[in-house]
Amino acid sequence: MKINHSLVTRRTFLNTLFGGWLAAFCGGTFYALLKFAFPTLGKEPDFVVLKTGDFMDISPNSVKPFAWGGQLGLFYKKQNGSTYALKGVCTHMECNVTYKPEDKKFYCACHQGWFDEDGKNIAGPPPKPLEFFDITTEGEKLIVAKKGIKVELPKA
Amino acid sequence: MSCQRLRNWIEERYDVEGMKRLARHKLVPVHQYEIWYYTGGIAMFLFILQFITGMVLSFYYIPYFEHANKSIIEIVTKLNMGWFFRSLHHWGAQLAITALFIHVFSTLLLKSYRKPRELLWISGFMLLGISIFFGLSGYFLLWDERAFAAVRVATGGAGNLPVIGGFIKAFLRGGLDVTGDTLTRFYAFHVSVLPLITLFLVGIHVLLVQYHGMSVPMSLEKKPLKQIPFFPNLFYKDLIIWLLVLGLTVTLATLLPPEIGKKADPLAPAPENIKPEWYFLFLFQTLKLFPGEILGMNGETIAIILISCGILFFFLIPFFDRRSSRGEKSVLFTWIGVFYTLYFIVMTIIGFLS
Amino acid sequence: MKRIIFAFLSVIACALDLFAQEAAPVEVFPTAPYDRYIIFQSLALFWVAIVGLIVIIRMKLKEIERVQKMGIDREEKDIPLLD
Repeated sequence: MKINHSLVTRRTFLNTLFGGWLAAFCGGTFYALLKFAFPTLGKEPDFVVLKTGDFMDISPNSVKPFAWGGQLGLFYKKQNGSTYALKGVCTHMECNVTYKPEDKKFYCACHQGWFDEDGKNIAGPPPKPLEFFDITTEGEKLIVAKKGIKVELPKA
Repeated sequence: MSCQRLRNWIEERYDVEGMKRLARHKLVPVHQYEIWYYTGGIAMFLFILQFITGMVLSFYYIPYFEHANKSIIEIVTKLNMGWFFRSLHHWGAQLAITALFIHVFSTLLLKSYRKPRELLWISGFMLLGISIFFGLSGYFLLWDERAFAAVRVATGGAGNLPVIGGFIKAFLRGGLDVTGDTLTRFYAFHVSVLPLITLFLVGIHVLLVQYHGMSVPMSLEKKPLKQIPFFPNLFYKDLIIWLLVLGLTVTLATLLPPEIGKKADPLAPAPENIKPEWYFLFLFQTLKLFPGEILGMNGETIAIILISCGILFFFLIPFFDRRSSRGEKSVLFTWIGVFYTLYFIVMTIIGFLS
Repeated sequence: MKRIIFAFLSVIACALDLFAQEAAPVEVFPTAPYDRYIIFQSLALFWVAIVGLIVIIRMKLKEIERVQKMGIDREEKDIPLLD
């Protein structure tokens, strides 16, 4: 029954108040629960620091793996001796790539994707080239950084 | 919000009016003891809370003895509000078992177990045993010194039962002694076996309550009592009480988070003044009452036999109490019920203080 | 002689290590004051929410009981159908 000069019936008022407050309460509780259930997702690092001695002396036309956060990084020395670092993760579905020295190409076994020695995607499904990093050496430290990132080492 | 369209969609396929009519049939009597009707619902609510907090905690707990203690420390120190959910799970367990004991003793004293509700008592007693095992297995997952010693004593004590003791001990421990295998086993119990059995038994228990209706104490049975519909009156009253219980649990969890002890060392001696969880204290104290030797027989075995008889009698009370199954006043069993309740309370308090 | 000194020093080191373990118990409750204030504030807000919800539910219950006392919630028997 609705009185003429009132906006809603008593029932509607009570039910809306109850429903709204209950929704807010449950929402808050679930938010707290979800915050706990979802772990703090790991971020990709901006740079990693390696030991110069471990990497600079590898034989030409070969790669040496290193840890880039939780993913694969490859330190790459071309036949002519120039050194590079790249993310060894295929741009198609994130499988790890491998280096084929006889072809001088990177190969992804998941869907037969091929990248050339500069990381450009030349055959198979990969849509983008491999990501290359910037390398700088500071004495014993070999710093591998994302392109464009200015590295500030902590005074450790 | 086109709630009406959704309602039409459902009503075209399901007999909602029929279900509503059925729900309106559920009536609850009003009398001076009606406050005890809420105890079962409170216990169930707390168990649901335990299921939810337990599920999220199991995302992060590592059930391998080498990492178990550390994984809990990681949950408590490193994760968003990890300390809170662990504390909530701990206090939820304490309050759930408390509510369960209140429910059990109130149904005992009000003689709700009498005919025709014997199966409710049987399923309820099984749920009590399962809940205590929930508590023991959950506590063991901490893998700290106290938990380790507690499980050694509990499984060792179970092993002292005549004939079946050895099997029970081996089944619980997963071997001759408490080891990492015991942890794996208790984790399986706590996370998989016990929850499934609990769901099944609680389902039967609640269905039987719907079937039989709420039990009324014998002294009030003959009088005509006012009946209140469960939907919506008591549903909302239940909701209020559950909200208060939630508030209490959350407050306790925030203000009194539980400690984490050092990782257990199977070869270390038992720590000083070791005591089991409070719901075992009455058993612990009872064991202490018995001397080492009675008439040349092992005192502890006799103690365990007597305790088992006491528990068995408790389990089968609906069948022993003939008078109440006929609907007659049964003073002897009232006193037996009072004795059980007081014994439990007094022994627990003594165990606490000593 | 060297061995005895080495053994003695390692025992001291182990003892000190145990001492270090005892001195740093696990923090089961956040220690930073900022975190503590947020937690207690959240607890207060939580209780406000619960009390508010209980008040609303009581209002609903009063209304339901009022309607039930009037007797208008039950369906009338033998009510003519609108065929």
